[in-house]
Amino acid sequence: MSKQQSLKATEAIQASLKKRYARERRFQWYGRLAVLTGFVFLFILLFDIVSKGAPAFTQHYIKVNVDLSQEVLGLDPGASEQEIFSADYLGAIKTSLREMFPGATGRKEKQQLYRLLSIGAEYDLRDKVLADPGLIGHSSELWLRAHSEAGSYLKGQVTAGTAESERKVKDLQMTWLDQLRDQGRTESRFNTTFFTEGDSREPEMAGIRVALYGSFFTLLVTFAIAFPIGVAAAVYLEEFAPRNRITDLIEININNLAAVPSIVFGLLGLAVFINFFELPRSAPLVGGIVLSLMTLPTIIITSRAAIQSVSPSIREAALGVGASKLQTVIHHVLPVAMPGILTGSIIGMAQALGESAPLLMIGMVAFIMDAPAGVTDPATVLPVQIYLWADSPERGFTEKTSAAIMVLMGFLILMNALAVYLRRRFERK
Amino acid sequence: MKKFPLSAVALAAIVGGSAATQAAGRDTISIVGSSTVYPFATVVAERFGRSTGFNTPKIESTGSGGGLKLFCKGVGANTPDITNSSRRIKQSEFNDCQNNGVTEIVEVLVGYDGIALANARSAPKLELSLKDVYLALAKDIPGPDGKLMANPNKTWKDVNPALPATTIEVLGPPPTSGTRDAFAELAMGGGAKSIGELKALRDLSADKVAEIKAAMGKLGLPDGFYQALQDQKGKAPKGEDLFDSIAYAIREDGAYIEAGENDNLIVQKLDANPNAVGIFGFSFLEENGDKVQGSQVDGVTPTFETIASGDYPVSRPLYFYIKRAHVGKIPGIQEYAVEFTSNKAMGEDGYLPERGLIPLADEELKKVQADVKAMTPLQL
Amino acid sequence: MDTTTVFLALLLLTVASFFMGRKRSHAVAAGQGGARALHSLPKHYGYMAALWALLPAMAVLVLWLVFENGILARMVVGDLPATVQEMSPSEQGLYFNQVVSYARGATDASMLDAAQIRAAEHYSALVSSSRLIKALLVLLVALCGAILALRRIRPALRARNHVESILKWILFSCSFLAVLTTLGIVLSVLFEAIRFFQTIPVVDFLFGLEWSPQMAIRADQVAASGSFGFVPLFVGTLLISAVAMIIAVPVGLMSAIYLSEYASRGFRSVTKPVLEILAGVPTVVYGFFAALTVAPFIRTLGESLGLHVASESALAAGLVMGIMIIPFVMSLSDDIINAVPDTLREASLGMGATMNETIRKVLLPAALPGIVGGILLAVSRAIGETMIVVMAAGLSAKLTINPLEAVTTITVQIVTLLVGDQEFDSPKTLAAFALGLVLFFVTLLLNVIALYVVRKYREQYE
Repeated sequence: MSKQQSLKATEAIQASLKKRYARERRFQWYGRLAVLTGFVFLFILLFDIVSKGAPAFTQHYIKVNVDLSQEVLGLDPGASEQEIFSADYLGAIKTSLREMFPGATGRKEKQQLYRLLSIGAEYDLRDKVLADPGLIGHSSELWLRAHSEAGSYLKGQVTAGTAESERKVKDLQMTWLDQLRDQGRTESRFNTTFFTEGDSREPEMAGIRVALYGSFFTLLVTFAIAFPIGVAAAVYLEEFAPRNRITDLIEININNLAAVPSIVFGLLGLAVFINFFELPRSAPLVGGIVLSLMTLPTIIITSRAAIQSVSPSIREAALGVGASKLQTVIHHVLPVAMPGILTGSIIGMAQALGESAPLLMIGMVAFIMDAPAGVTDPATVLPVQIYLWADSPERGFTEKTSAAIMVLMGFLILMNALAVYLRRRFERK
Repeated sequence: MKKFPLSAVALAAIVGGSAATQAAGRDTISIVGSSTVYPFATVVAERFGRSTGFNTPKIESTGSGGGLKLFCKGVGANTPDITNSSRRIKQSEFNDCQNNGVTEIVEVLVGYDGIALANARSAPKLELSLKDVYLALAKDIPGPDGKLMANPNKTWKDVNPALPATTIEVLGPPPTSGTRDAFAELAMGGGAKSIGELKALRDLSADKVAEIKAAMGKLGLPDGFYQALQDQKGKAPKGEDLFDSIAYAIREDGAYIEAGENDNLIVQKLDANPNAVGIFGFSFLEENGDKVQGSQVDGVTPTFETIASGDYPVSRPLYFYIKRAHVGKIPGIQEYAVEFTSNKAMGEDGYLPERGLIPLADEELKKVQADVKAMTPLQL
Repeated sequence: MDTTTVFLALLLLTVASFFMGRKRSHAVAAGQGGARALHSLPKHYGYMAALWALLPAMAVLVLWLVFENGILARMVVGDLPATVQEMSPSEQGLYFNQVVSYARGATDASMLDAAQIRAAEHYSALVSSSRLIKALLVLLVALCGAILALRRIRPALRARNHVESILKWILFSCSFLAVLTTLGIVLSVLFEAIRFFQTIPVVDFLFGLEWSPQMAIRADQVAASGSFGFVPLFVGTLLISAVAMIIAVPVGLMSAIYLSEYASRGFRSVTKPVLEILAGVPTVVYGFFAALTVAPFIRTLGESLGLHVASESALAAGLVMGIMIIPFVMSLSDDIINAVPDTLREASLGMGATMNETIRKVLLPAALPGIVGGILLAVSRAIGETMIVVMAAGLSAKLTINPLEAVTTITVQIVTLLVGDQEFDSPKTLAAFALGLVLFFVTLLLNVIALYVVRKYREQYE
């Protein structure tokens, strides 16, 4: 090769190198852009949810001087607990409110006045009196829960700017609330009810306790079934399955199940577990089984991919020193594949955590106030609660919906954090 | 086996948990059914649970059809005690119930739900007549020659020159919804009645076959249609059957958008799109007065009073059905029904009307209360 | 003893048998030259004993739990007065339900008759004896299993093969579960679907070009009870999924490549889980986002360009669905690419290839089967998604491939048909089952094709 020719070649190479490097840089930028896109979308969604949901974590209370005399409550001295339970607390609250604002005279005005306080105020008051019967017989200044509409004014979500006919909080109520606020009779507190109560039709009394318990039990069942079975199936298919018709059948079935719409799994749950095995309706047990069948394909497919990508040299080395196939898999292949398996399982579980459609058929889309004690008690789950609240007419549920979403996402982040931790531990190998 | 200690623990918890409650005899009322009745039933259930010693009933939102299916599956602790419905039980469902041993059903009419037509506050308020609604939304309308043709109306102005020249864009429930059925019957049917040819057809009884066929000819309907309807019904159709199938068909060319049953979403979509009109339950209109306004229909604005008095033409009844065999066996069923129908709940000043339920007239309410007290079974 | 305790005791016994098995294997081998004389490692004998203790006892426990209630009910009802015996089974069930609630202390005696209160006492007694018998039986079976296994331990016993074949059968049954699930699904929709096909002919359903579950009246429209044509729904499903994949695949794949090949370890370990949150945002949120933010935006944009855009467009739903499945594609591809052996990378780089060339010519082909699997999974998720489509694209079934029009998907129709207010024997509701069944077979067909394609490709590559 002459010198000139090689110079030419070098030039050509250098020219092409330039192009190749430019391409390389472009390619890297595409990657950055893609990651950035993901972040932007995530940020938009999170911002939207948090800005809507944040007000739900505060609850306003109004200090009312409640007259708990025996006449008002309709109690005899020495009343039994049962009588105290069913005393006329609503009457006591109404009387006290009227005394505070004697200006409210007409029927409509009185109704508006009573609507400052939550319906739950009656029950709160009852519980307070039951806890401390000493309250009976005299008046005391008590903090009572405000109605969600009054709360929306106190939180500044509704202003006098809109015409009166277009909002639920009326002008009169606004002046009352302003007065109360000026007298220091309103207070904003952290909304513990949201975490300690079940569903309610009053936004200010609604909480996610039942849904949290339900989601926990459901996911527990799902995980206990789907993870071991999923990994076992993946191991079998990747490592042991002979190439025959049955294996093909299983393989196609698994891929196909991944594409079956989730509600069809609900139909399966209804037909098989509720109608045939007579398991209870609305129970996290059935929900968990159905969701585990639904997430199994995801776990199997991802685990298989992870096992597949384990370098054959590891297997061959293990087999070479005399390990059995099973030993090779358990001691060498699975640990290497574990990060991938965990990723798949976490994605599957996240999917199960957010799924509501199949639960509709097995009765978990329901109004339930009492928290479940086990996997066979009626319960609902977080996404269903979100769906039900999103569909409620009362405006106060808008913020509760977003707040419940925030909680759900919180759990998701926790699960992901767990996955990161586990992945790190396994990846060290 | 030793690989999954975590799942072993979880499994143990499940087995334990299921054992703890496994043999649970059911002592909580189980209610299923319509998503339209759900917001009212839950309000009652919550008060019932808080103020009495009974457990709070469990209420599922399954849709009326699914609810009745579950309800009619039989008698026993694993079937629901009550089903909510946004329409009356159909004969076929009633028969299904009877066949499965659910012989005595108590029907409770709880009130009415107004169906509002509304648009965004930022747009001018619409003043419609039922005829306008029909002409705007029907799949086929009588053309200038009297024959049916695909609905050519593109804007509200095409329908009625008094209306604005905005494109017809209506967000409403899908054909499977009870709201849609009620809307079709009351609004579309009501509008079609004001068109002479259709009204004449509606008034023909089944024995006037020749006249029906003549009317069909005038409308440009093929003879095969009569036959098809006859096959479907299993007997000679009345003029009214033909009328129904003409009047209740809603256009599918994009002017009417089937928007699912989330009424909050419809409200927000209207807010974002001032040209659109939405069809949804009255309680959502009331709760979102700052975003949407109800359209006048036949000169009447949907308000609580106009719907209750029957002046507003588009509203439908809501029901629930009680399985009588369960009364006294599952605690609290009758008490729940009594609470639901009490003046405190369903009366004019009750807490249900506060949520947008249109209450019954006094006499109707008294009759319902008496029926609940006596648990009078339904005869169909 | 309640079930949890029994279960824990069983686990303890299992662990104990493991140690005993191991010890015994040492003992039997002691006389013959120590552990070297054993066919398998001592722990395999332990595993064998543990499995023998656990599996039969577990089976007994499960069977007991399944049948306990029914048998107890029969025993209690059997002792009740004749009037109760004459009741229909469902009435008996209700009657017994009261007995159980009372026995649990959930209801007071006011609603019960004397016979029921006696029955409740009887029931409580039976329950406690049942628990005792259950505990004894389960533990006995476990003990027998363990002893049997222990007695069989000889140096020549092929314990490892024994354990492995049991485990292999367990593994096989785990994967066979998928077939059972499929069977269950087919059976649970089949009967209703058949009822549907009795009213609507299969051919009309499969090849019908119009989906409109309401009456049709003019001459050019067929069928009196509405038309149930599958094609528009299927095309709609494909259209929305395609839009979603156009967003998700490039973004997801590029993110995965960037994360696994360019980004620093720290960045990757933070970014990946953060983006995975996108997969878990409830679909209701995406639905609202699509319907209220994206759809109006697309509409305004389209109108400013002079295009006609329906306010409910397939594009909006598809776009948002694409965002939702980005993490599917990203996370799975990242794992797969990351798992490609470094030797391949180093060889390519050593030849002077740039990273970009290495990725495109070496890594991607090597990782392709896994990536395709991940993408198929993402497609499946897109086909199955409902909420976003219901909220953003509506339910109007239009036969079009223009993404600016409103379309609907099969899943959406299934859900709305099932939760609608129509009676359950009308074609409107039964159609849901038929749709489920047909969708099932369509995806099955696609999967069979995909399997063969992937296999062919893989064989070439290997």
